[in-house]
Amino acid sequence: MKVYFFHLMPYAYLDMSYQEKYRTDWVILPNSYFDPVKGHELYNRYLDELELAAELHFDGISVNEHHQNAYGLMPSPIVMASALARRTKGCKIAILGSAFGLRDNPLTLAEEHAMIDVLTGGRLVSGMVRGIGAEYYSMGANPAFSHQRFHEAHDLVVQAWTRPGPFAFEGKHYRFEYVNVWPRPYQQPHPPIWCPSLGSGETVDWASAKEHRYVYIQNFSPVASVIRYLNLYRQTAERLHGYTASSDQIGWAAPIYIGETDEKAREESKIHIERLFSKYLNLPFEMMFPPGYLSAASLTAMRSIKRPAIAGGTMTIDNLIDAGIFLCGSPDTVRKKLVDAHRRLGFQNFLANLHFATLPADLTEKNLRLFAAEVMPALQCLTDKEYAGMETQAAE
Amino acid sequence: MPGLAGSIIELRGAKLHLRRAGTGEPLLFLHGVQGLPESTAALDRLSRRFTVLAPDHPGFGASDSPDRVQDVADLALFYLDFLEALDLKSVHLIGHSLGGWIALELAIRSSARVTSLTLAATAGIRVAGVPRGDMFIASPAELTRLLFADEGAGAQWFASWQATPGLMAAYDRNRAAAAKYTWQPRLYDPKLEHWLHRVGVPTHIVWGEADSLIPPAHAAALGKLVPGAATTLLPGCGHMLDIERPDLFAETVLRFIEGLRS
Repeated sequence: MKVYFFHLMPYAYLDMSYQEKYRTDWVILPNSYFDPVKGHELYNRYLDELELAAELHFDGISVNEHHQNAYGLMPSPIVMASALARRTKGCKIAILGSAFGLRDNPLTLAEEHAMIDVLTGGRLVSGMVRGIGAEYYSMGANPAFSHQRFHEAHDLVVQAWTRPGPFAFEGKHYRFEYVNVWPRPYQQPHPPIWCPSLGSGETVDWASAKEHRYVYIQNFSPVASVIRYLNLYRQTAERLHGYTASSDQIGWAAPIYIGETDEKAREESKIHIERLFSKYLNLPFEMMFPPGYLSAASLTAMRSIKRPAIAGGTMTIDNLIDAGIFLCGSPDTVRKKLVDAHRRLGFQNFLANLHFATLPADLTEKNLRLFAAEVMPALQCLTDKEYAGMETQAAE
Repeated sequence: MPGLAGSIIELRGAKLHLRRAGTGEPLLFLHGVQGLPESTAALDRLSRRFTVLAPDHPGFGASDSPDRVQDVADLALFYLDFLEALDLKSVHLIGHSLGGWIALELAIRSSARVTSLTLAATAGIRVAGVPRGDMFIASPAELTRLLFADEGAGAQWFASWQATPGLMAAYDRNRAAAAKYTWQPRLYDPKLEHWLHRVGVPTHIVWGEADSLIPPAHAAALGKLVPGAATTLLPGCGHMLDIERPDLFAETVLRFIEGLRS
């Protein structure tokens, strides 16, 4: 298994009383809440944490893109990936992901990803996402066209990376007379494409298609959803697309905290993990799902759930641990959970979110070091031999 | 709509849900961003005097969403096709909100089949410096305050869309269609105001005094841009003036049209 350290770079100095005045920390929370001097300190601290992970022999380090909120301070993950490119050696740098279709010109992103790939000698993992609903407000992109633009931007970018240029691209949303990207990516035919998702049958279907075979990452989800969607990927590949998916094509991303004991881990992480869900991922329905962002069927399904799984204002550490959204405990506890999950699901990629919300620097470093020393080695040696397979699991 | 009978007509391969009632001269009502509710008293009232035609716009209600209709200018051309297909040679055209924007785009292209134009709380232009509401980001409680002067009326309207799973799905579908046509730029086209001198038919601008989605400053601006337009402000009305004060709205519309013949 390949293990990544995934950083969200939240604004840890967020004034937690913001909810007295604003219903969310996305889109409408004034940026006067952001102090650039504190931001300077945070960016450099967070980059240090990512660089430490590289030194601790994680297979990869990962950044992502979010716009205009306190949850994640990386409107351009390219900037952070660039900062990491020259300070790390050997490990993958994963951008999970870039919202290509959110942009009016996805070609600029295709160029920037190619640059990082060439600069790092092929260490880039290129994530493709639609962007969170709230970002369609922040970026002025029309959510009713988000699926179409995502697919078309993907086609444009992959062609730009693989087809000899110059060529013309004539889409419905994007049109270019001359597509001729310099530099071409270092990895051939193109950097690996990953699709992080909060759980979507449509994304699973698309990512697993025979001509894509992209890595699907289930993100921030109850373990029931992780099981459902990772198995769905294998089933969809087998039944719909007619091939057997490799375990390298699926992965899981989850927040993790490790302490010396289960009790200590809970005590140290409680306030921070609860803030992640109640203060930072505080997305009202209208912002999470702007009109047209979900298909009619998905929206109806979503409406039938009283509260979206990830945007729970009342989530406690106990709920989060019980649901399997948050992995917390002693090294033994966390290792057993992950090894057991691998036995049941066989995923060959794991992204550990070892910093979240307001977790301070000292605890983050401890978390990283304990994970790297006590848990990661047991994961990195897992192969398909330890995977029980879907049939066995169903029989249990 | 108790008095209006719905049917599906086909227009160059696209199914359009069209409700009709009454007799007399044809009156085409183009609904707003929120879609057309099952019943509207204002249209019932107008159908006593006119043949009221009230389609669901492409993508709204029970109408198809054909590929050729992507924006408001396309909707205008779609309704020019509609007027020809139904052989409607002279209609009183009433547009509310998004429907008013469509009516303006239609009229500047061809008003040959339009006898009069009533623009109610119309989208399509932007008055610099006048803050407007955002119906998409608003919570349900905020939305009802944006759309109605009276909160109780707003809550009742919203509840009517929540009554059954079918109506909830219709509400979602209408909002998705509204986003498709009006998201960016929000509820207007910066080019439209330069062409409004071409409207060329008797025009009546009707606005709710308490409209906080598209405030009445837009009525004043539109009055200057459309040659010879008359303006009436309705007290106690928000953006959904046809729902909030149906009788007052219908009488106001009628009075202007009746005045044209004298």
